[in-house]
Amino acid sequence: MSRFLLFYRLILRPLFREPVRASLTLLAIALGVAVVLAIDLAGTAAAGSFRSSMETLAGEHDLEVVTAGGVPENVVGMLESLPYPLRITPRIEDYAIVAETKKTLPLIGLDLVAQADRAKGSFSFSGADNAWEYFAAKDSIWVGESLGHKPGEHIALLINDQIARYTVRGTFPDSNGSAPAVVMDISAAQDALRRFGRIDRILVQVPHAPSLEAWQQRLRQALPPGVQVRAAGAGTNENRRMLAAFRWNLRLLSYIALVVGAFLIYNTISVSVVRRRAEIGIVRALGASRALLLAAFVGEAACFGLLGALIAMPLGRLMAGGAVQLMGATVEALYVSSRPGVIALTPLSVSLALLVGVGIAVASAYSPAREASFVPPAEAMARGRREYTTQVHKTRDVLIALALGLVAAAASRAPAVGGKPLFGYLASLLLICASAFAMPALVDVISSLASRLLKSILGVEALLASRSLSSSLRRTSVLVGALSTAIAMMTAVGIMVGSFRETVLLWMGDQLPADLYMRPAGNPAADRHPTISAELTEKIAQLPGIAAIDRLREYEISYEGMPAGLGSIELNILRSYHNADFLSGRRTSEVLAELRDSNAVLVSEPFANKHHLRAGDPITLSLGDNVASFRVADIYYDYSSERGSILMDRNVMLRHLPDPAASNLAIYVAPNARVEDVRAEIESAAAGHRVLMFTNRDLRGEALRIFDRTFAITYALEAIAVLVAVMGVAGALLALVIDRRRELGLLRFLGATSGQIRKLIVIEAGLIGLLANFAGIALGFALSLILIFVINKQSFGWTIRFHWPVAVLLGALTMVYAATVLASLYPARVAVRLNPVEVVHEE
Amino acid sequence: MKSRWTCAAALLLFTTSAIAQYKAALPGYHYEFPRDHFNHPDFQTEWWYYTGNLKSADGHRFGFELTFFRQGVDRNLNTTRPWDVRDLYFAHLALSDLDGGTFLHTERTNRAGPGIAGVSDSDRRVWNGNWQVAWRGDDQVLQAIDERFSLHFTLRSAKQPVIHGENGVSQKAEGSGRASHYISLTRLNTSGEIQLGDRKFQVTGTGWMDHEFFTHQLDRDQIGWDWMSIQLQDNTELMLFHIRRSDGSIDRYSAGTFVDARGNTTHLLNNEFTLEPIGSTWTSPHTHAVYPLRWKASIPKLGIELECSTLLPAQELSSSRGLLPAYWEGAISFSGHKREATLGGVGYLEMTGYDYPIKGLH
Repeated sequence: MSRFLLFYRLILRPLFREPVRASLTLLAIALGVAVVLAIDLAGTAAAGSFRSSMETLAGEHDLEVVTAGGVPENVVGMLESLPYPLRITPRIEDYAIVAETKKTLPLIGLDLVAQADRAKGSFSFSGADNAWEYFAAKDSIWVGESLGHKPGEHIALLINDQIARYTVRGTFPDSNGSAPAVVMDISAAQDALRRFGRIDRILVQVPHAPSLEAWQQRLRQALPPGVQVRAAGAGTNENRRMLAAFRWNLRLLSYIALVVGAFLIYNTISVSVVRRRAEIGIVRALGASRALLLAAFVGEAACFGLLGALIAMPLGRLMAGGAVQLMGATVEALYVSSRPGVIALTPLSVSLALLVGVGIAVASAYSPAREASFVPPAEAMARGRREYTTQVHKTRDVLIALALGLVAAAASRAPAVGGKPLFGYLASLLLICASAFAMPALVDVISSLASRLLKSILGVEALLASRSLSSSLRRTSVLVGALSTAIAMMTAVGIMVGSFRETVLLWMGDQLPADLYMRPAGNPAADRHPTISAELTEKIAQLPGIAAIDRLREYEISYEGMPAGLGSIELNILRSYHNADFLSGRRTSEVLAELRDSNAVLVSEPFANKHHLRAGDPITLSLGDNVASFRVADIYYDYSSERGSILMDRNVMLRHLPDPAASNLAIYVAPNARVEDVRAEIESAAAGHRVLMFTNRDLRGEALRIFDRTFAITYALEAIAVLVAVMGVAGALLALVIDRRRELGLLRFLGATSGQIRKLIVIEAGLIGLLANFAGIALGFALSLILIFVINKQSFGWTIRFHWPVAVLLGALTMVYAATVLASLYPARVAVRLNPVEVVHEE
Repeated sequence: MKSRWTCAAALLLFTTSAIAQYKAALPGYHYEFPRDHFNHPDFQTEWWYYTGNLKSADGHRFGFELTFFRQGVDRNLNTTRPWDVRDLYFAHLALSDLDGGTFLHTERTNRAGPGIAGVSDSDRRVWNGNWQVAWRGDDQVLQAIDERFSLHFTLRSAKQPVIHGENGVSQKAEGSGRASHYISLTRLNTSGEIQLGDRKFQVTGTGWMDHEFFTHQLDRDQIGWDWMSIQLQDNTELMLFHIRRSDGSIDRYSAGTFVDARGNTTHLLNNEFTLEPIGSTWTSPHTHAVYPLRWKASIPKLGIELECSTLLPAQELSSSRGLLPAYWEGAISFSGHKREATLGGVGYLEMTGYDYPIKGLH
């Protein structure tokens, strides 16, 4: 009981007296924890969706049969005839877009005749009584209940490049984890997609004995060599693995706000210790042990942490909603079609929030709390002593900073560990620590250098301000440290994204040489490759004013347990118009000549990185029912997708996968024709087909829009970290004002006007902001190098050219600076309101 | 005929519109074997129907049924795409463990698809997934796999194919074409293996095959039928069927066939035999249909009087989806006399239309 009383009187009561400052600290922690929680929740929700969208109505199954370009459909017959009690479910899997709402839905083709059989029927739907009549009708669809359609309704669906009207024959329940989807009979689905002879996936359920591996082996032996037999859920696992780096990086980014928050806790507790020095002395003199005092101050921090975490939970849940949107868009554009799952606060995520909140608070409060426990009672009780003794070993700290910097440099050269740039992260962390150690020296040097200059520009208040900063060096350095860390991360990420954007811009200049581009309408996603009708392509090729058409075709494949794209290009066209960039630095024409009609392929840089391939290496691909061996001719720069791609000659691909339809068309306009005229002609030729056409410029704009959307979440995380830091500065300045009330009161007593006092505080804030900006930019530059050349390269495999995004950085830094100065207005007002008589009377 | 009618009946509900595309079974059809053992796509409905009574070396008795149905949906469908539905293929599989007292049955529905089900003249094969009958020379190899049991038999016909009815048609109702082409292999020497759970039984016995193709045969007052195959110890066989009318009478198109030891056949008219239930019945717990289990068959002109009974009352095939009418189809045994000689035998009994009248057959 007495201990609680001590805790209450020494710790809690003072906090209640300064509600503004306490709430600022609390809010800063809450924001930091909320961001971590939001990213964790959003990541889980986004990851949950890779399962559901194509696993709709998959029922129970143990194995799945897949291959690049689709499994030849006679494999279904082979499987059905095997003398084993297997359950075989062939599925067409693609996407349809509801014309009215533009909503993309999985399109699943099932063998509804066989499904009507009770032994197989995992698909149950309303209106089953007369379903037989509808199976043969090609306009029949069944939809998920949640879409709200009634049997008999008509829906227009965009599938590939055509819209057709379908009739809803029944609905199926989709509340139990199945995504809302459009179901057709296989025959109707093949018609709708105009993709015959192939099945996207065959699900197989096998008996319990013998083992799954034994069944896998048996099926492999019975089927053509190119066909892959893999465990159920392999696709989901591949997606998870592919997204691991993305989620991991985002998660680490979310910890920045927390690191900034840690600086602030440190500062808050330091302030508490200093402010209550006298009380600590009394308590100690009355017999309180050191351990008790340590516990009291750590307890204070824990309270902040706990309360912060509690506030963070609803806040994080709220932020997760936005984060899921942003992450979902990125995942769809760069990786895989997804549908965000439900955001759920699980006991695990609640404990994460509590652990992170309390943990970071206690850890950062430990050092000042320990200092409190070492306060000698007699000294503390002596009235009127200087309250804040600067005990900073500048030289020692600079040496430590240097050592840390060297270790960081060494760590940045180490390779990735298990695909994760662990040493890169270590290097970043070491650099941040190094900068924290170097901060006191930096603050001291700069403020003493600046004090004269400032005095001549801004007057005596500036002199006082800069002196005050260097006299309370430790606290100032912590503040500058917090703010500069946030600024540094912002700068680093800003430079990284800016460099990336510039690299992509340059790359697009080489990569997109055609005048017009065409793709089927609908939202693009990294793993969806709708096609343009072959007859439309032929029609366009005949139009006057067209010099050439490059038919690009892309398939979704799985290569050594990772999803990838498999594309084909028309070499005769590429050779004359294209100017691709290769890792080897060889000439485009030389590399492409190697590809023509040969077993040579190109792989993208991320693909080469993921699978550790170099030019000249062999590569084996499952294509249709064959296995074919290829040789990597070269590696090309590719920033369009992180998943990695393989490119081959169109003629070679057609030999293995004979579907002539193209995913995209690159159209070259003849020199004597006008692009607008040709475009109009193509548009009238394409009447009845739903395709989107882009001019070269539009396409680049579209690509950049996707790029910027991808990094929207990164910017959001940065903004929150800076917000936390600015709030911290406001809180800390407030503490500073309250601490220096005697000094400020004395100044007023000596005749300083309230305007001068305000100016003094604002200038202090301005100085802190300036120092933080300088330190932040320097640290940020160093961090950006690690981000670009170590972390990004090791996580995603992209070569990014360094580029200063001057305008973006200037804008952001000015904003932060302005925010810092604005944040000082409230403490300044408090300082002005101090009653000089009362203050001096205390003295 | 038989249960196959039940299936066909249900299917006709969905496929009557296409009936004009198909040929009717008319007198004078020229049979040719082995060609006529296989597909007749000109006719809308066709089935291959295997039943048999088998025994393991230690005397464990089994009955089996494996049937393949083809039901034409759209003869004129002009397509080369395997998933387009030209015909539907159904199959029923049942194992009667007569001494073990269990009856296991299952069913399948498929389209031809890319090799999923079908009838191939060139491969001499009738199949639905991994249930199949393949001709190897004079032998037929029958294989059927289920999760609970599997069958693997070799069947060799001891007699020439029997063509039922008169002038190549088995008339079922009044009117031209209300008939089927109906072929039987009445004595198939059968040997092979039954796997039931973890146990394997080497079995031998006698099987029977019916193969029938037609386009439409029953009229709307015909509500059900009782059919039996009888394989007697003196190497002769009988096929008898009754069509029951809605007014309770026996249809005059009920008929039968007697096959002597050398394979010569005698067509039996409705008034040349009687088939009547005597006493005990069994009520299905699933459909509540009441099936007569004991029957008496008399053919005065041949001096034959037989009574049948079964070791296993529960041999009803009912679809859990209720899509097809339920029917009772099971292994039976006979005892009685021919002229003065006592005579026994085995066979299969089929009873349909006991859960509700077979409707829509026109």
